[in-house]
Amino acid sequence: MTTSASPKTEDVRSGAAAWLAALCLAATPAGADEAERSQGEYLLHAGGCITCHTAEDGGAPLAGGRAIQSPFGVFYSPNITPDNETGIGAWSDEDFLRAFWEGVNPAGEHYFPSFPYTSYTGASREDLLAIKAYLFGLEPVDQPNREHELTPVIASRFAAGVWKSRYFEARRFEPDPAQDEQWNRGAYLVRHLGHCGECHTPRNRFGALEYERELAGNPEFGDGSVPNITPNRDEGIGRWSASDIDYFLETGMLPDGDFSGGSMGAVIEDNTSHLSREDRRAIAAYLRSLQAQ
Amino acid sequence: MQRKIVATVVAAAITLGISIQVVAETTPEDARDYRGSVMTALRGHIGASSMILRGLVEDNGQLLNHAESLANTALELKNLFPAGSNVGESKALPAIWEQQEKFAEAIKATVDATAAFEDAVVGGDAEAIGAAFRAMGQSCRGCHDNFRQSED
Repeated sequence: MTTSASPKTEDVRSGAAAWLAALCLAATPAGADEAERSQGEYLLHAGGCITCHTAEDGGAPLAGGRAIQSPFGVFYSPNITPDNETGIGAWSDEDFLRAFWEGVNPAGEHYFPSFPYTSYTGASREDLLAIKAYLFGLEPVDQPNREHELTPVIASRFAAGVWKSRYFEARRFEPDPAQDEQWNRGAYLVRHLGHCGECHTPRNRFGALEYERELAGNPEFGDGSVPNITPNRDEGIGRWSASDIDYFLETGMLPDGDFSGGSMGAVIEDNTSHLSREDRRAIAAYLRSLQAQ
Repeated sequence: MQRKIVATVVAAAITLGISIQVVAETTPEDARDYRGSVMTALRGHIGASSMILRGLVEDNGQLLNHAESLANTALELKNLFPAGSNVGESKALPAIWEQQEKFAEAIKATVDATAAFEDAVVGGDAEAIGAAFRAMGQSCRGCHDNFRQSED
């Protein structure tokens, strides 16, 4: 106990720090809530929630109703405003976490993987609860959810459960100690919160992501194909500099000066253009470290 | 005075002559290729502007040149899509000729956005320049979304 480096001393210190922090939080609840909500708003953008949870053509933000085409039928995104009846207003923190981490709703029913819990399962408790705090500060919108229109075999929550038992593992992100902080931040954003692989990673015929071909592109997705974003110089983005990737995510400009349309346009608008330069650079660092496919 | 009239007549004749020549001899392929060249010019100025805006190269007054060129070249966009020019490897969608009013609006949005970018560069405020550049990109995308065949 005499050396300051002893683990026990560290424990005592961090314990005291946590206790002090808790005191400060208790003393200024409004300020702390505000900070959490603002962090939640940022993370809501990083998580790409707005695009899917808002109906096209002027739907109320985050009130759901957007059609998501898939080979298994049409999914309609649900209302995630804090309305008690039609939204998620009655959800506890644990309900919210379980949805993201385990892919089940508060009634214990399985979600279809159109809700990308397969990626969100890696998100941290702190980040998810900040998103919840932000959502719960919004005006509730009374808009009932629309039923999915799925092919008969797929259309049961039971089928979703079978799928999950085979293709889903609930697991938080753990930083890779062999990589630096920027890479780990990029990995967290790309693989988990930003769920880039849900569109950019190919899927098998059961719709499960082929992780060994991470971000190698998906030739059959929605109405078209989604490009390879691994460092392949011809098929992927191997010729893009870190600045090119950063600038594309900020403005939508391809390195040759073109502006692409399509579904990535909405991702840039709702998601990546709201990120800090640091986070966009972290994404670039992670993408550039991948195996070229 | 007389000389001025003669010059005007000659200028008109030249203009008329050239435009008649274009109508007479421009093949659909020529129109398509000219469109491609003009688009390449726009992309070139956009890419170059972005490198200056990102601080990757020094601005020795060229940002204004790129912005002016964009604004001037954008004025040509409305002439780039004569009917029948979506031949061969053209990515122009039939919607261009089927929804002419909507297409004209999309073109005008880009003309306005390039003019606004030029104004912002003249104004010199870095934040306003960045915002105008992004808005210009959105106007390009607005047209490509609906009227250009996607890569896939």
